[in-house]
Amino acid sequence: MFVLLHYLHRLRAETGLERPRRRGALQLRHVDAGSCNGCEHELQAASGPMYDLERFGLSITASPRHADVLLVTGAVTVRMRGALETAYAAMSEPRRVAALGDCALGRGLLGDPREIAGRVEDILPVDLRIPGCPPDPETIARHLVELLGP
Amino acid sequence: MDALEVITVAPEDWRATLAGVRERGGTLASLFAAAGGDGAPELRCLTVGTAGPALVRAAAAGGTIPTVVDLAPWLQWDEREARDLFGVVFDGHEPHRALVAHPDDLDAWTTPILGDDVHQVAVGPIHAGVIESGHFRFHSVGERILHIDVRLFHKHRALERAAEGLGADAALAVIQRSCAACAAANTVAFAQAVERAGGRRPDDATRRARTLLMELERLYNHVNDLGAICAGVGFAPGAMAFASFKERAQRIVRDLTGHRFMFGSVSVGGSRLSVPPETAAAARAALAALHRDVGPAWRALLFDASLRDRAVGAGVLTPDEARRLGTVGPAARASGIHRDAREHSPGLWYPGFRAALPADPAGDVAARMEARAVELEQTFPMLDELLGSPIAPGRSTVEGPGGAHGAAVVESARGETSCAVEMEGERVRRVHLRTSSFANWPSVARAATGAILPDFPLINKSFELCYACVDR
Repeated sequence: MFVLLHYLHRLRAETGLERPRRRGALQLRHVDAGSCNGCEHELQAASGPMYDLERFGLSITASPRHADVLLVTGAVTVRMRGALETAYAAMSEPRRVAALGDCALGRGLLGDPREIAGRVEDILPVDLRIPGCPPDPETIARHLVELLGP
Repeated sequence: MDALEVITVAPEDWRATLAGVRERGGTLASLFAAAGGDGAPELRCLTVGTAGPALVRAAAAGGTIPTVVDLAPWLQWDEREARDLFGVVFDGHEPHRALVAHPDDLDAWTTPILGDDVHQVAVGPIHAGVIESGHFRFHSVGERILHIDVRLFHKHRALERAAEGLGADAALAVIQRSCAACAAANTVAFAQAVERAGGRRPDDATRRARTLLMELERLYNHVNDLGAICAGVGFAPGAMAFASFKERAQRIVRDLTGHRFMFGSVSVGGSRLSVPPETAAAARAALAALHRDVGPAWRALLFDASLRDRAVGAGVLTPDEARRLGTVGPAARASGIHRDAREHSPGLWYPGFRAALPADPAGDVAARMEARAVELEQTFPMLDELLGSPIAPGRSTVEGPGGAHGAAVVESARGETSCAVEMEGERVRRVHLRTSSFANWPSVARAATGAILPDFPLINKSFELCYACVDR
């Protein structure tokens, strides 16, 4: 265990993450609406020790009931549309929706159109768009921080 | 190189032909349907023998063909997919449980588990963490799992259908969309399959470049998985340390290829990858530094008592179960099954490669962890060796007659992935990608049987399969 802690201590010193300037906190609930898993990997990485989303007060929550932001990846497939809408309906106001990645924005190769229900913004009101294929963890963090306000 | 052997048999000879392949020591790698010449579906089975892959075809007369699921239980999902996508009825494979189609009726896709106090726990498609979407239905008594029905294909984008009618380059871009974590393996398999159809042999530069991409992919996936297993038991130092190894590996990947998941790095007919000497030298140094940190971190995991307590004996997949279910990759090797497509990959750069098995292949979570650790000890030197020589663009040359059909099998991070392609001139008529994740999901369900519900995340993460390249 101490080997790991020693390494992580050294990593933190070497990585040199900035102290955030804004105050605030947001709970994020992620929904995969039909991605290639690239955006999931990068979102996971954003929560990792070299980007540390939590220092901005941004954390992943297990339930949409506890969420402020619905963070959606993937071109919404017909089979995920219902689950996506259910997750959104479970969130109380105020709530925000972020479309993460080019597929969620309807850009790029999405697959056979008969399997795609639409872009996230065709199904839910979108407040934040994070383009990229996939957007890297720093890009994800930078966009999400905007939701915290000035 | 010879054209891919294609054997067309009458539907009444389908079973005997495939049984014969098995009797001669070959494997049945994938089974799928395609539109036949007259519009009626035909079945295709990709077989792999000592001479390499071959394709067996038979028409589904009247839309029906005998099942082979009794001869080859690992082809269960293949037949279910062919039924849902092409309407083929497999005689003897009853009841048909919907796989790609999602009928509401539970009886259409779940197994009836009856008895006192048996209840169902439905989980997903949305999961608690940042995980892909998929549904699991646990049949349990209290927390003891009796059986799991896995329902995937929520992310089905019909990419194989979307690739039809496209030229090879455009089709490769579609195939690449199937999965980010397997982008290199999936596109290399596709490129090799198309080249085989065209009678093309890739040159050494292409073989080395593709092997570099595949081993880079193996590296970041294996360290990711070890971190995910730690996360699965709530062991934060391990999860964070290995997450940082994955990040460091992906930055090396980005420096070498321009993309953290190697999108756009593979092309049909050759390789465009070019790495300047200074970049290669920097990558070698970064990999050596990473290796120096991974080793002690892995040993630290071995000495963490509570992690060992959770991992040892958990989620056991026996050798018999692995053989019956067609388990591939580190999960198979962790159960003592010696199979690794890198031992038979003339299209890549694995001279003298022998698969590494863990010292104690007990088939539990601990063995699946160790399988990845021993493979990393092969991958680091391979990457160093590959980067020690120039990585320059390569091409392929036409050396044989080719034909309409091509196929390739590669060892992705999670195991054997096969791609079968049928060309019509320069365009793809049918492409079928059967990934290691597709192969291994039934093994996850089997390994978790008998465990308690809270152990499922750990057992699942010890396989760490993709959902996207199953659903396609």
